[in-house]
Amino acid sequence: MNTTDLIYLLPIGCSVGGAILCLIPIPWFERVVSLIASIAAFLSAIYILAFLPDITNSYLYVDGLSKLVLFTIALVNISTVLYSLAYLKHIKNPLFKTRLYYLLLNVFASTMFFSVSMDNIGLIWVGIEATTVSSALLVATENNNATIESAWRYVIIVSTGLVISLIATTFIYGSSGTLSISQLMVYHPVNRVFLIGILLAIIGFGTKAGIFPMHTWLPDVHGKAPAPVSAIFSGVLLPVALYAMARVIQIYPSPVVKSFALILGILTVVVASLMMTVQENYKRMFAYSSMENMGMILIGFSLGQGGLLGAVIIIIAHGLAKSAVFFFTGNILSTYNSTTMSDVKGLLGRLPRTAGGLFMGAMAVTGAPPFPIFIGELFIFAELIRQYGWGVAAFVMLFLAIAFISLNFKVGKMIFTGGKLYPKEKNHKATWVPIVNLSLSLLSLFFIPYFEQFLHKFLIP
Amino acid sequence: MNYIFEIIGFVLIVLTLLMQWEVYVTNIILLFSISTVFVSTFLVFLGFSRPEGNYLLFVLAGLTLTIRGIVIPIIMNKALHRLYDKPWRVREDKPMMGVGGSILVSLVLIVLGYFIYQNSLYEVLKIRSGAVPFALFMQASLLIISRRHAYIQMIGFLVMENAVVMLSGWVFSGLPFVVEAGAILDLLGLVVVSSLIIRVREQTIMEEGESYESELRG
Repeated sequence: MNTTDLIYLLPIGCSVGGAILCLIPIPWFERVVSLIASIAAFLSAIYILAFLPDITNSYLYVDGLSKLVLFTIALVNISTVLYSLAYLKHIKNPLFKTRLYYLLLNVFASTMFFSVSMDNIGLIWVGIEATTVSSALLVATENNNATIESAWRYVIIVSTGLVISLIATTFIYGSSGTLSISQLMVYHPVNRVFLIGILLAIIGFGTKAGIFPMHTWLPDVHGKAPAPVSAIFSGVLLPVALYAMARVIQIYPSPVVKSFALILGILTVVVASLMMTVQENYKRMFAYSSMENMGMILIGFSLGQGGLLGAVIIIIAHGLAKSAVFFFTGNILSTYNSTTMSDVKGLLGRLPRTAGGLFMGAMAVTGAPPFPIFIGELFIFAELIRQYGWGVAAFVMLFLAIAFISLNFKVGKMIFTGGKLYPKEKNHKATWVPIVNLSLSLLSLFFIPYFEQFLHKFLIP
Repeated sequence: MNYIFEIIGFVLIVLTLLMQWEVYVTNIILLFSISTVFVSTFLVFLGFSRPEGNYLLFVLAGLTLTIRGIVIPIIMNKALHRLYDKPWRVREDKPMMGVGGSILVSLVLIVLGYFIYQNSLYEVLKIRSGAVPFALFMQASLLIISRRHAYIQMIGFLVMENAVVMLSGWVFSGLPFVVEAGAILDLLGLVVVSSLIIRVREQTIMEEGESYESELRG
């Protein structure tokens, strides 16, 4: 690796540096440092995105797809740090000191940056497993019985699932003699061991991405983790795992692999949509909504070309909009002290900005026009119809409609019923953070032609 | 070398069966530690068997022995000591199935693992003893599913990782050192973090007599 290539590691370096500085025991220092580190990581991600060419060497593989995911991670990371500054004081009995929270958050961000920059499936696995290590305690921040139980489930289910992708890595390496993505894209063996390796990798990484049937940790964690942690999980952790799946599909885009990914994607959309209809906990409902979006992204990756573009649009727009929605749920939880939907009434009167933002956010994440997720889904459906016909597309559309109706109906009930039950309360300090995220999600609509340029090499039929 | 692998594989399966049989957590940790010693022995033999004398395999064997075989069991035992007055008496109180049942299922899984391997990968790999890691993997899954105690579930996960080491080393040519080392470090981090979470979880269960699974349904 040339020394000039090290510039691609800047986002990782900024977050690791931030994490180390968090160890200095000066009051508020960890907050300032984390904010500076996240801004520095964001600026370096922008620099890589806008000014640096794609790079492939024996360690790094940074192309248009990596750059866009890197950028999304950096953006959601900043907003998570900013929201945490105001939110953490609402946690009454934290499991650990604030310093450790920010340290873990920085390490977590660095592991995600690492995962999307490597040219080696094995190292991507190491990075994704490291996200589990760094984030498990973050899930348990609120230190009550249910959060501890969900953190444990997260560790054991996700780690076990990732063992499957480690086995897959063994198969891939055993049959091809390399784990380099760039080399495998140029040449890979065509035999049963390699194929099994690819399919196992899709299942294993799918565990982390919340893909059916290994999704069971996802609603537990999103339902019980503090709002900023749920936001960064849903906004970027799940897409990082999907990024690994996308690479695996790109390595071996055979009809078997693509169909397998497509079926898993469709099943994920079906299960998530049906589960959303019976949810009584708003955080769990948004978790299933994330699962539904991940299913759509996987469908897009499996289709390639226009589907891939649609998937990337959803990754960026969903990352921003869903993190915003989870930040709003933090406002609601700290006001109502309940995550049960029936306990949340008169939101519009009590927290008008949060109510308005949540309404828009719910529309955005369920793919209402003109939000970019709608455009992303249009690209995916166009490709789905082209490759598999109207029947399959109509089937998926049906479940998207179920998800749309159930989520928006339930959010509407929280916002609009019981109008005068409570007096208007002062806005939460950090409400502007999700509003900015939501606005950026909408604005990403205008950057779709640029996304297309970044993904140019994948979009050629 | 095939002969040595088969003996080590057999010992590992027996040790995992003993884990199914055992109810005391400290004994299960000890059994895991012993099984890891065999895994590192296997890596040493593998290093000698390579014509080029692959020194990285010896480093890997050392890392495996130190971290998986010694450090991780020490961390787990220390966590048990912090949590309980008499850690050697900590046992699985509510297993999903009885000892007899779990051993029987375990044996069935060994046969199933062998059957699946024979009918899928054997045709391609042509290594009959390659079924051993698959059988180990399935036994480890059973350990996770059949026990409620978090430490035993963690041991189940660690046995799975050992199975992957056996698979990659014997059936295939092993993973690149940087990946194996990364996996071991990840594992260490995971055990440290898990020990913290388990400690808080077990304290809750001891104080309130139940876990809060009911809040995590739907």
